[in-house]
Amino acid sequence: MVDTAIGFIAIGAGLAVGLAGLGTGLAQKDIGAAAVGAITEDSKMLGKALMFMVLPETIVIFGLVIAILACFVLPGMGN
Amino acid sequence: MFLPESMSRIVIVGANSCIDETIEALYDLECIHLIDHTVDADEGFTLGTPRPYSPKTAERLLKVRAMEKDLGINKHTKTQPISESEIRSQISSDSVESVEADVKAMADRRNDLNQRITELNAKKKNLELLARLPIDLDMYAGYKSIASIVGTVEKDPTEALGDLGESFVSMDKKLGNVVAVFVKNDDKTKAQNVLSECGFTEIPVPEGSGSVATALNKVEVQLADAYRDEEVVKKEMEVLFEKHKHFLRATDEELTVDSEKGTLPVRIASTKYSFVIDAWVPTPEAETVKSALESKVPSICVEIEENRSRKQAESDAQEDRFKVVPTKMKHGKVTQLFEYPTKMMSIPKYNEVDPTVLISIFLPLFFGFMVGDCGYAIPFIILGAYGLKFAKNPDWRAIATVLFFGGIWAFIFGFFFFGEALGMHFVGEYETGAVTYTWAGLLGLDHLHEFFETFLINGHGVGKIDPEFVGMLLRLSVYVGIVHLFIGYVVAIYNKTVQHGFKHGFLEKGGPFLIFVGVVVVGYAFGWALIMDQYSIGEMFTVTNVLVEMIIGIVLIVAGAVLVAKSEGAMSILIETVDAFGNILSYTRLVAIGMSKAGMALAFNYIALGMIAGVNPDPAQAGEISIIMAILGLLIFAFLHLMIWTLAILSGGLHALRLQLVEFMIKFYEGEGTEFSPLKFKHIKTISDKKINEA
Repeated sequence: MVDTAIGFIAIGAGLAVGLAGLGTGLAQKDIGAAAVGAITEDSKMLGKALMFMVLPETIVIFGLVIAILACFVLPGMGN
Repeated sequence: MFLPESMSRIVIVGANSCIDETIEALYDLECIHLIDHTVDADEGFTLGTPRPYSPKTAERLLKVRAMEKDLGINKHTKTQPISESEIRSQISSDSVESVEADVKAMADRRNDLNQRITELNAKKKNLELLARLPIDLDMYAGYKSIASIVGTVEKDPTEALGDLGESFVSMDKKLGNVVAVFVKNDDKTKAQNVLSECGFTEIPVPEGSGSVATALNKVEVQLADAYRDEEVVKKEMEVLFEKHKHFLRATDEELTVDSEKGTLPVRIASTKYSFVIDAWVPTPEAETVKSALESKVPSICVEIEENRSRKQAESDAQEDRFKVVPTKMKHGKVTQLFEYPTKMMSIPKYNEVDPTVLISIFLPLFFGFMVGDCGYAIPFIILGAYGLKFAKNPDWRAIATVLFFGGIWAFIFGFFFFGEALGMHFVGEYETGAVTYTWAGLLGLDHLHEFFETFLINGHGVGKIDPEFVGMLLRLSVYVGIVHLFIGYVVAIYNKTVQHGFKHGFLEKGGPFLIFVGVVVVGYAFGWALIMDQYSIGEMFTVTNVLVEMIIGIVLIVAGAVLVAKSEGAMSILIETVDAFGNILSYTRLVAIGMSKAGMALAFNYIALGMIAGVNPDPAQAGEISIIMAILGLLIFAFLHLMIWTLAILSGGLHALRLQLVEFMIKFYEGEGTEFSPLKFKHIKTISDKKINEA
């Protein structure tokens, strides 16, 4: 039988990236809408808008880091 | 290099009789940033009035711009530059007016023709409709007791009209439905009501006699004539365009300068007999400016009022109009290219560090690390170099800059650190069960590894998604983040030190810095103790050492918290602590984005090479490969990698930039400075006399 622990780790890693991605999406949804509005009014806002736009991407990166740790580091710790 | 150019304030005083020479001299020096005079700032002074030649210049400029619009000349039109003295003599001999007479006559003719063509077309359209009814033109009007109603309808009105009068209808889905109704004068309103229910729109009936077809022919002939005339006028306009484009562009430029110079007195203080100009000049040039101005216009007096220091208190003590000092960023040829991201945020203040130099180091470095692949790096370098050589638009130039320098870093990392091109290691042993194509294996170069083994880690370089390196890469990215943020915090303290002195600087910005260092120490001890202890428990990480490190870290955090609470309030402690932690982890994107690209490349390589071309990853088991499938595989290989390459520009570039603008610059950057914009004029369509004299 396959080691169930590995399976759980994989599920955990998937959840970490997936849920973090959802969170980022929720945050970016509002920022994106506001940013497009701001850029339409004044195209000079593009730089600042872009910066605000990528702010929440940190959340998904955190999720990814946890997933990487789960996939690569946790299995090693068991040995 | 880090702080903007230091500035001095000068005052120029002179008699109104020499104001024109003074204005010329100011523009020639190209390093004088005028301070606008504010009304009632000094007793006895008012704003000056435009020079006497100003209205005439403005009028001519208006004429020139109108002609340019008529002839379709714009800033993209390629023209020959003309020397300044020549264009001046042409302007003063009323060339603008004589050219205008030419152009205006032709433009008027063209407008008349255009109007005529529009009218004839409308007439033609109506006649075409009427041609479908069996009625001559002169039969539509001229009755005493009968009225005619002619127009288009949406549905057939014959039934609705009943026996109200005589009606002629021609229905056609494509060409439109036309109707002509003849009723008694008394029934006209009634008929109109009926018709309007059928979607009636009236059309005017052209005057004339005879059949509609004859009239239509006549209009068509007239229209053809008009079109022929239009062609002629168009050609003549083209001749005028070629004849005058050089003159008009050059005159436009020359008159723009003149009108700017002519209205300059409006920005300075003056009395009935004299004027006073306040201006900023870069301190290193202040003396030269003074002597140059005084030698050019002997009757004026130039005084260097002050050399402004970077202390905030000194600026605050000044009058409002002298408070803000313009920022002149000083950069070399390379760092200058990176001013764009700084300006995207804001212009730095006079007394704060200009982050451009730091950005020029870290932005390409981060971009290169995230790409980290020779195969993508080379097109980046080529594209970037091409853009830097040919692109004029500042946006494209900024992108080309990042691509070129980032590409160089990507090549260095790809070659010496990752040992990769297009997601494949150059060399490496085949591992059973893994998809590990290597360039050496694919191309059958058996001796390649002898060269790469001399410098690559483990003989094949760092694998981005290789479990044995992932931990190391994550730690590396965190360390890079710590160094980058450390610089940010130190610059923050330095900025405040420059503005208010070290004590103030440390009290204001030292708190977040101490918290940051504390978080780093605690995180380091914690990380080694909890996560990494399985791998390496060395001398430094015994239980007592970890405890000592924790205590040091916590002490630092507490000390920082006290400072933060004093300067920004207790709530900020939590924010600063979480910020420090979150910002450090944010740098793991350096690896995460590299990994995502490597993952895609791995999958794509397998699809193109393994599944389509049928190449076995294990060189020992290489079999026959069909040529057609190999070509197909290569095409798909190229297409899929082009996709990753494009994505690399977006994600790599944006995230590298974001680390600068968000994590790094928020630590210290305030911005909102005023850019140094000296009085000068760029000669594009004219050649300045000075240049001719020099040559």
